[in-house]
Amino acid sequence: MIRTVLADDEVLARQKLRQLLTENEDVEIVGECASAREILELVELTTPDLLFIDIRMSDSDGFEIIDALSANANSKRPQVIFVTADDKFAARAFDIHAVDYLLKPFTMERLQVALLRARERLASCIAGANGQSVMREPDRYTTRMVFKSRGRILFLPVSDIRWIEAEENYVRICTATESHLLRETIGRVESRLDPQIFLRVHRSAIVNLHYVREVINEADGDATVMLMSGEKIRMSRSYRSRIRKLISA
Amino acid sequence: MGRSGKNEPVFMQPAIFITTSVLVGLLFALQEWMSLRHMGYHVHPVIFFECWGFQFLVWGAICWLLWRFFGSQIQRANIQTILTVFLPLSVVISLAQQMLWVLIFPNLPLNHPETSYWRRLSIYIYAELLNNMLIFWCAFLLFRGIGYYQRYREHEDAKSALEVQLANAQLAAMRMQLNPHFLFNAMNSISSLMRSDVEAADDMLEQLSCLLRMSLERGEAQLIALREEIEFTEMYLAMQGRRYAGRVEQTMRVDAELYDALVPSMLLQPIVENAYVHGLSKTEAPGMLVLEGRRNGPQMRLTVTNSGIGLNPRTDRDTNRRGVGLRNIQKRLELHYGGDSHFDITQIDPRHVQVTIVLPLHYPANEIRPVARFGTQ
Repeated sequence: MIRTVLADDEVLARQKLRQLLTENEDVEIVGECASAREILELVELTTPDLLFIDIRMSDSDGFEIIDALSANANSKRPQVIFVTADDKFAARAFDIHAVDYLLKPFTMERLQVALLRARERLASCIAGANGQSVMREPDRYTTRMVFKSRGRILFLPVSDIRWIEAEENYVRICTATESHLLRETIGRVESRLDPQIFLRVHRSAIVNLHYVREVINEADGDATVMLMSGEKIRMSRSYRSRIRKLISA
Repeated sequence: MGRSGKNEPVFMQPAIFITTSVLVGLLFALQEWMSLRHMGYHVHPVIFFECWGFQFLVWGAICWLLWRFFGSQIQRANIQTILTVFLPLSVVISLAQQMLWVLIFPNLPLNHPETSYWRRLSIYIYAELLNNMLIFWCAFLLFRGIGYYQRYREHEDAKSALEVQLANAQLAAMRMQLNPHFLFNAMNSISSLMRSDVEAADDMLEQLSCLLRMSLERGEAQLIALREEIEFTEMYLAMQGRRYAGRVEQTMRVDAELYDALVPSMLLQPIVENAYVHGLSKTEAPGMLVLEGRRNGPQMRLTVTNSGIGLNPRTDRDTNRRGVGLRNIQKRLELHYGGDSHFDITQIDPRHVQVTIVLPLHYPANEIRPVARFGTQ
């Protein structure tokens, strides 16, 4: 069970979370609170796994509370999902390793995504505590990114990325359902990604090898990378042997 | 009173003014020397340059001091002041200048050795006083002229500043964040969905919030990157897609090199909205909406094509019936780009209408910073 605390000074905001969360059988709400003091007490008392917290509450700032919780050596800080109407604290939330950042109003779907990430995070924490190191080369490669796209804030795990395409000064990041345009160079993005998973197949394309179905040789000597979802991505000759090696390995 | 306003002409700087005056004097000296030579007199030229140069040096200094301390009085003087103050002043100054000049050149006039100072002074006053007064009044007229010019410039500056202000105010009024009509319709759709499909209502509310957030984030900016406008339009299209239950096939094709190009904010959304309100919503058949952006030399060309009922030849071509949204766009394009932009709505066939916008291609002066952050865990 994911023991969960809800912190928001608005009753209706808590109510919405509670209603949506009860549909998840693995989530147990162990407490609700509306002020900084209550949160600190409640977290101390219940040692939850997950905390949904608003950033701006009447008597406090969500970040101060998280700082106070992190400083408490007696108990482990719960995983944090921010739920707020303010979009300007996303980078800060990202920096303190929040699981996700939900902008009010959010949809059930969006909440489910956040919960999924929380489950993954908690599972990897347990695995880590059991001594099975799940991290390969920790901190060298990015595991998630934060950016704004179409008025939304995304805390995107890079494992969700299927492929990345360069468009002039931008890169288009494609997931299963959406694509996001980011002002970044493909080289910079490539340097942040784990080369065991993400492979540059072309001057303007990177693919996630987990989603590659096959490499098709074209008649003219070039090749095409076919993704499981059916997309075809052009490939430069120089990359062909590398991808073969990686796929067969 | 000092006249060191920011519109002061550069030739009124003392060094320039007095040097110019001396040069004029030297020209007179040259002229006199040459005309005397022509008549057969041979006089050493230095004496001419000395006395003319000195005369105009003194006059230059006097006139500059007049400008410096009485400039504004000269410019404002009425006829009464001119007659009672400046006319006597011109006589006094001319006399004083002459007295000084005669004192400095005791050997002049040349053919009158051993003549007393007062005798020589009276000769020169007789010959030169009117000329000297003429110099004074030329300077007087020059200073008045500068005054008129300065006031004209100030007036023009104020006028153009006012025009800019007016244009900005007009632009601000027209660059509405979101059409209230659209906002209320969207809320009504949500209200309706709340009874039938709670999740769809939720989705739509979230999309509407995204639109509002983007619109707030832009703040007062008049010009934004085309990519931002496209993002905004995409979100709007996503919402319309829900309202029209996937009946409309939406396509967007924009050259990547245009992503950073500057366009007036809220340029595309009203056009797309118009395509829905006047075209796509009027027919039950599956519809299509295509948004294209192409670079065209030093310009960009944006087109929105939609299927529907075509243009009503009698009413829609008439600008007044085009809808406030489109008229606003046209007006804003004129205010931003003058004659360098082009806006056009045409029926390309009986079922398709196309809006075309051509704009000069501009990029922001500052480099756009990447917004993504990377992290682990």
